[in-house]
Amino acid sequence: MKALLKLLSASLALQVAVATPAAAQASGSAQKYQPINDDERTLWRTMDEYEGNIRHSPLLIADAELNDYVRSVLCRAVGAEKCSAVRIYILRTPQFNAAMAPNGMMVVWSGLLLRTRNEAELATVLAHEFAHFEKRHSLQKFRDVRAKTDAIAWLGFVPGGAFAQIGLFTSVFAFSRDMEREADFQAVQSLVNGGYDPQSASEIWRHFLAERKASAASGKIKFDGDIQTNMFSSHPGISERLEYLSASATRLTRPNLETGRTDYQKAMARWLPLFVDDQIKLNDFGGSEFLIKSLAGTKWSGASYHAMAELFRYRAKDGDYALAAKYYRHAVATDPALAESWRGLGLSLMRTANRPEGIKAIRKYLELRPQASDAALLADMVGSEN
Amino acid sequence: MKFALIAMAIIAALLMAAPSYAEWRAVPADESIKVAQDKIEVVPNMEWNRSTASSAKFGETWTADGVALNELTFFAAVEEGDTLYWNRIFGSDKLPVFKSDMLLPEIPELFEKSNRLLLDTPVFTIEKVEADRLSGYPAVRFSYRYAVPDDLLERRGEAVGAIANGKLYLVNFVAPSLHYFEHYLPSVRKLFGSVKLLDTKTETDD
Repeated sequence: MKALLKLLSASLALQVAVATPAAAQASGSAQKYQPINDDERTLWRTMDEYEGNIRHSPLLIADAELNDYVRSVLCRAVGAEKCSAVRIYILRTPQFNAAMAPNGMMVVWSGLLLRTRNEAELATVLAHEFAHFEKRHSLQKFRDVRAKTDAIAWLGFVPGGAFAQIGLFTSVFAFSRDMEREADFQAVQSLVNGGYDPQSASEIWRHFLAERKASAASGKIKFDGDIQTNMFSSHPGISERLEYLSASATRLTRPNLETGRTDYQKAMARWLPLFVDDQIKLNDFGGSEFLIKSLAGTKWSGASYHAMAELFRYRAKDGDYALAAKYYRHAVATDPALAESWRGLGLSLMRTANRPEGIKAIRKYLELRPQASDAALLADMVGSEN
Repeated sequence: MKFALIAMAIIAALLMAAPSYAEWRAVPADESIKVAQDKIEVVPNMEWNRSTASSAKFGETWTADGVALNELTFFAAVEEGDTLYWNRIFGSDKLPVFKSDMLLPEIPELFEKSNRLLLDTPVFTIEKVEADRLSGYPAVRFSYRYAVPDDLLERRGEAVGAIANGKLYLVNFVAPSLHYFEHYLPSVRKLFGSVKLLDTKTETDD
């Protein structure tokens, strides 16, 4: 099953790769192009089916307010006219990714929204994907590869259905480094055009690099000094990228540009607890700890303390329950109405041989959430003990 | 030809990723039967099929109509530091581990985290968590539902788990919400009630 998410993102890149006619390559809006031969028509149909599936995906976050907000950030960066060609789908998927298909379908993963810290960073990624779409990069790659091998025959041969076929294609038709660079430069220009601080374009990569290092340090992944994920495997090396993005931003910057941090935090406030919980349950201690601390910044909220506490309780190594209890205590001191923190505190204290205090905390949880799904079990556990 | 070589490598990987050969044998109704290397005994009230392969590291998988439609998994005698599923599925030590001093409310949490990773989905919700007994041991019964990215069918599940002599025993049933879950649930609950844990050394407390 794990491969499916990779294929999902891969499929989008494929779709970019298959359906743009030569006549429309240089410029033009999304509506102008159509597939030009049978091969491309077949693949276009696959893409349309895929978009139909996305509309009914159990992972789709259909919330109108969140969708409108993400769209507003893209529109501010690329302009209202270009933006009107794009249909955005937000998927509840904790990893960092976004992609765009040639028919105007853009997919944004919740893991991206968890990691970007302001509108300018979000706009960087959205504008980058939009640039691949507008510059018709995929068709160029598709033609280049098709000239060398009978790719369509391969497509028909691969077992495993459309996802697997699409996955194969993306592996073969990755964007070139020049294309990535071109999309990066266009994204920086879009930021400035939209009134966003262009230095955010390099900041997001610096931040992601630091997360990967933190993740590797906790032993769950190998850190190879560069970014290797679905979205980034063909992208220029991180150090080269940071250098040219930053230089480009310095060249283009002008007064009165903003990051849009306050508005971003406001829009994400009700989504972050869910996105953080999904991240914690990936069992990537280092990466999750880095992200929670980054979100907390200098002023920790009850939710941030709670997230750190959950992280330690779930890891459950020696000493982790004591640390979890400490963070849960901070959480309920900051916001005594955080029922889940009382629950976690109770369980952690019971595991650190402090049963009487644990029982008190569980009772507090039951008092705040008498209808909780596990209320009956916890009530049974604490019984009439004092 | 570089691209053709890459394509061939991917195809080979896909073929190798196909499920390994599993042998199925019929399980008769209304007879006592030992499962999961004789660690658990149950009396099913309907016919099932048992497999020689399971995603459970210490367990056994049954189905009535095929695992896509209904799946019963026995996790038997999972020891301190072990995982519910095979870590090799991930090629890393990604799965959370069982601890023998876990509290009952932590068993559904372990199950949820393990399955989110196994199924690669964040859409997994524990619904009802209640106190129960399993073969006389204090147990937790919980229901849940989930969906995965490639499949529009939502699935529901119910499981009963207990820690006996420091080891985890858990029996789990999962099926599509549409028809199959409700259809088999009464038989599954009877099977849960028939569970006997065989290799625990301490006395049961009922």
